[in-house]
Amino acid sequence: MNNSPIIIAKNIHRKFGTGELETHVLRGIDLEVYPGEFLAIMGKSGAGKSTFMYQISLLDTPSEGTINIAGNDVANLTEVEKTTFRLHTLGYVFQNYALVPDLSARENCMVPLLMRGLSRSEASAIAESALTSVGLDHRFDSLPAMLSGGEQQRVSIARAVAGSPTILFADEPTANLDSVSGQAVIDLLSDLHKKGQTIVMVTHEREYAEVADRIIQMEDGKIVTEEILNKK
Amino acid sequence: MNSLRVGLLLGWRQLQRANIWTTTLIVFVMMITFLNLIAVSGILVGLIAGAEKAVKAESIGDVIMTARDGEDYILSTPTIRDILENTPEVATYSIRYKGSGQIEANYTERRNLGAERDTAIVTVTGIDPQIENTMSQLKKNVVAGEYLNPDEEGYILLGALYTDEYASNYGDIFDTVSGVQPGDKVRLTVGTITKELTVKGIVQSKVDEVSLNTYLPEREFRRLFGRVDQNANQIVVRAKPGVSEDNLKSALLASGIGEWSKIQTYEEAKPKFITDIKNTMNLLGTFIGSIGIVVASITIFIIIFINALSRRQQIGILKGIGIDRRAIEIAYVFQASIYALLGSLLGALLIYGFLLSYFERNPIQFPFSDGILVAPPFETLIRFVVLFGVTIIAGFVPAWMIAIQNTLNAILGRR
Repeated sequence: MNNSPIIIAKNIHRKFGTGELETHVLRGIDLEVYPGEFLAIMGKSGAGKSTFMYQISLLDTPSEGTINIAGNDVANLTEVEKTTFRLHTLGYVFQNYALVPDLSARENCMVPLLMRGLSRSEASAIAESALTSVGLDHRFDSLPAMLSGGEQQRVSIARAVAGSPTILFADEPTANLDSVSGQAVIDLLSDLHKKGQTIVMVTHEREYAEVADRIIQMEDGKIVTEEILNKK
Repeated sequence: MNSLRVGLLLGWRQLQRANIWTTTLIVFVMMITFLNLIAVSGILVGLIAGAEKAVKAESIGDVIMTARDGEDYILSTPTIRDILENTPEVATYSIRYKGSGQIEANYTERRNLGAERDTAIVTVTGIDPQIENTMSQLKKNVVAGEYLNPDEEGYILLGALYTDEYASNYGDIFDTVSGVQPGDKVRLTVGTITKELTVKGIVQSKVDEVSLNTYLPEREFRRLFGRVDQNANQIVVRAKPGVSEDNLKSALLASGIGEWSKIQTYEEAKPKFITDIKNTMNLLGTFIGSIGIVVASITIFIIIFINALSRRQQIGILKGIGIDRRAIEIAYVFQASIYALLGSLLGALLIYGFLLSYFERNPIQFPFSDGILVAPPFETLIRFVVLFGVTIIAGFVPAWMIAIQNTLNAILGRR
């Protein structure tokens, strides 16, 4: 791993509501993630792990604190700037697969690439390659409704990695899957990590978290423990 | 450009995967809206256009000549007749002599000399029956009795609105005589001259100039009215097919007829109020049609809003993975524009492929005209552009409302 962090989050606070209804979900989190690292964020329900991931993946804006990703101060970007940044730098795997139901597996992977300005043929070739890498070379033209949950999540991973993101965020990617499919998804993420992909994954399953280099445990909006597993 | 590409892909795929019946219903609504927009004003304008068409066919023709200002009659009418015979642009023409007189009916049954006489003041037109029929198809307007025979004398054609039987439908607004039938005798008085004539037939038309007229053969008219110089009051001319009114007028002016008569095309001669009524009807039709546009735009708004709302999470995810908000808006605008385009296309096919010719063959029977459908292509195009524009706005607004929402809230389904 490179010594200079790819994500630097400092004093991240996230509050919801105002006055008596104010909820303080994140309470001053500091975290650094290094290039090529696989970080697992664990914690009980309500610990703030997903909320924290939304802050560092630019899906939300912290109430307080600074975030630097790949040398860019991103906490205060506008919505449009964040969208562009996400397109070019970040990849996402959501818990509920989050595929566009009207698009085939290939087209789901192509959409972000087309948005980046790639030609249709280039985007199609990359999408097919990404789908092949997740074992779905026979499902290019299948609609999400025709795929199993595990296959949909693999399409979701293919879409996320097709654009070669600097960082891949996965929010409980195995939550809706059976153990076999869940393990297959974790194996895919692990393979990607072995190829040098930086991954931040939220999970509540210890077994899956153990493929990461580092596990942080959250509780009440704070990081309470940090465990280094197989750090290179 | 990238937003456009992605937006079109998303929009097209949504259309492809949409429920076929829902899409059909939306396109049907758009088609009805388009028809409403074109047909309502088209029929209202067609009411007047039908009347105009009839006036042109049965009365004024393509070009009408009348006496020049300061003159009582068209000068050198025989010379004009010769010129018309030799003008290639002229298909046919009719020379008309006009005057007014009083007809009296039922005088043989009048026992009490102090009783009111059954009379009506009438317009009298002297015609060559054969030529007039070629020009205005007057014969087909004979609803009782027979048409005038050029060789006969002592006969008159009576306009239906001068008889009680036909005029009673309109209340007591016309000066009429009672119970006159073909074969009955009437007296026509012009100045101090009175002549007894036999009613040869009754003519009725939706053109008042026909129904409120009496016709005599030209020679009989001139004798009765003392018009020995053969100078007419009116010459109506029909152009050959393919010759415009303006070209015909130019040809007649070039032949020197303008020295003896005032020459006007139908458009110039028709009363201004007809144009005013047409414009008013058009405005009224546009107003009624615009209500249809409002309804259609609300329909499209609701459809796109529900569609976008039900895909709110998907929209959030698309934004989450870096898809521009504009691409999402374009996807919905594209769908709305396809609905408008298909609906308008079907509507236009129905109008130009069927309705126009149908109403031409089967006009709507109004008391004062045979209503046709009028849909000039340029006006249709303008209305289509309006409908298309309104639909695009109606598609954009709900898409924008959903797409502008916070990305994370949309992904998580939070309000």
